[in-house]
Amino acid sequence: MKKRLLLLSLSAATFITYKAQAAVTLPTDTGKTAAAPAAPAAPAAPAPAPDAPLVFSGSVDTYYKYDFSGHSNIPTSFASDQNSISIGMIDLGLKKTVGNASFVGELSFGPRNDQSIPTAGYHIQNLYVNYNLTSKFSLTMGYMSTFIGYEVISPASNFNYSTSYLFTNGPFQNAGFKATYAFSDKVSLMAGIFNDYWNTFKSAARVNTFGAQLTVTPVKNWTAYINFISGPSNGTEIDLTTAYQITDAFKLGLNAADFSASNGFTGGFAGVALYPQLAVSKVVTLGLRGEYFKDKAGTYGAPVAQGGAGLVAGPLPGDDVTGITFTANIKAGPLTLIPEIRFDNTSKSDIFTNSSNVATSSASQFVLAAVYAF
Amino acid sequence: MLNYQRGFYLYSMKTLLLTLFSILLVKVSSAQSDLLSFDEHNKYIYYQVVDMTGITADTLHARGLNFLKTNYAKMKVKPAGLNGLNGQGKFLVYGGLSILKHEKGQIDYVLNVEFKDQKYRFWFTDFTFTPYERDRYNNYVPKQGGSVPLETAQDKFDKKDATGYIDETGAFCKQFADSFKQYLLHVPVSTPKKEEITKKVVTDKW
Repeated sequence: MKKRLLLLSLSAATFITYKAQAAVTLPTDTGKTAAAPAAPAAPAAPAPAPDAPLVFSGSVDTYYKYDFSGHSNIPTSFASDQNSISIGMIDLGLKKTVGNASFVGELSFGPRNDQSIPTAGYHIQNLYVNYNLTSKFSLTMGYMSTFIGYEVISPASNFNYSTSYLFTNGPFQNAGFKATYAFSDKVSLMAGIFNDYWNTFKSAARVNTFGAQLTVTPVKNWTAYINFISGPSNGTEIDLTTAYQITDAFKLGLNAADFSASNGFTGGFAGVALYPQLAVSKVVTLGLRGEYFKDKAGTYGAPVAQGGAGLVAGPLPGDDVTGITFTANIKAGPLTLIPEIRFDNTSKSDIFTNSSNVATSSASQFVLAAVYAF
Repeated sequence: MLNYQRGFYLYSMKTLLLTLFSILLVKVSSAQSDLLSFDEHNKYIYYQVVDMTGITADTLHARGLNFLKTNYAKMKVKPAGLNGLNGQGKFLVYGGLSILKHEKGQIDYVLNVEFKDQKYRFWFTDFTFTPYERDRYNNYVPKQGGSVPLETAQDKFDKKDATGYIDETGAFCKQFADSFKQYLLHVPVSTPKKEEITKKVVTDKW
């Protein structure tokens, strides 16, 4: 008995000692790390800056959706399966920095991947290399998530699980070459040249889309991005994305955008979305997304059957939709539970259908999602 | 009677072993947290006074400044008082195990150093933790409005995570303390560059 107890104690102590040592890996300074202690007789030479470790991160997400009409109605991205426990995607990201050079590769698999990338089978969300010419000036080339808009593809980076009309209709990714210069801690500018079409791994023929992003931090905890993208193939979008953490508990986000089609099409879309969020405890944050989205009159959003491009997911040209989404984020370590209820309403045309499959102007749905980020 | 004595003996042994084990457990788990203390304002501080026999304050000051400029290039260092330095810097803390890890946040700190003849003292204070979040490009960046004093990190974040941040802060300070002491003891202000001599090989005669 004594031997057993002793052995058990020894094993437990060894395990805990190992865990304690493992947990306290020496941190890396954002400058150079201190030199290792020199041998007493020899002068200590400054140690070279250690390279950052290979960073591995990602997420998985799964959800249940029920549209109260009994069938899917709301045409925004993801969470598309009705009355089904469905999967989103597994997202795996790698990043490595050596000196001034870094790369990011992000792979994803699952329905959310298939709905967010241009070519099935590629499974690539981000793939780019970056080089910091100076501490203020960097160059980036590859296939990158778009710089336009408030919401993103990764479920771990969104507060709401369902997505906005502005997100769904804007670009998802832009492949290109961009340069970013930080004028100060408060102002930076990105400008780049991108492939002719959004959301493509390679250009159709040209690299003729221009994009720019002005980042401004007017006061602490408030950042605003003024974005611009324009090209003859897709059109021109001007976008304002901003978020202000007003108090420890309250954050307000805003996204406003205007898109004008090109390439022989007329019309486009415009909209604005507000994102107030209130942390009511250490683990629970409540949020609301209020969005107004208008499909401009023209051929860009008109149905194909009527000679249009059918490229707007939302109301018919000349109509608008208002969406109100109540969302909670309940955190349990790396896991976030996201219950959400959403009401959408158009002002003129009946683009939704009710439980009797009769055209109607409103739709509502419930979603419960679980996102695990690591 | 004998059985009773044996039972009592075994019970005492168990209690003793369990007590020893508990002490060991507490000792090990609090080893890194113990590196930090609380100052008179109930803020975390890492404080050391170190004797430097035979070295003047001016020399220590020059060496100290050189050490910070060389090894902590991103730290904002400025003079403080007649023979002191003040620096503001930050370091990253990582979460996760082995390669499955990414930046969990950064810890900002203030460093104060004062030099006198044959001794110096320094202290780290004003630790602030800023959590990182993933951005759309799969980078981890500071979360806007998320900064909290390290003292209150446990109120806002998972207790286990917060304890880890405090541990990593202690480890960072200790690593600095050891390197700083070694540098001040042994390194001249301007270290002459040692030229590497490449041995020449004659290949036409063999």
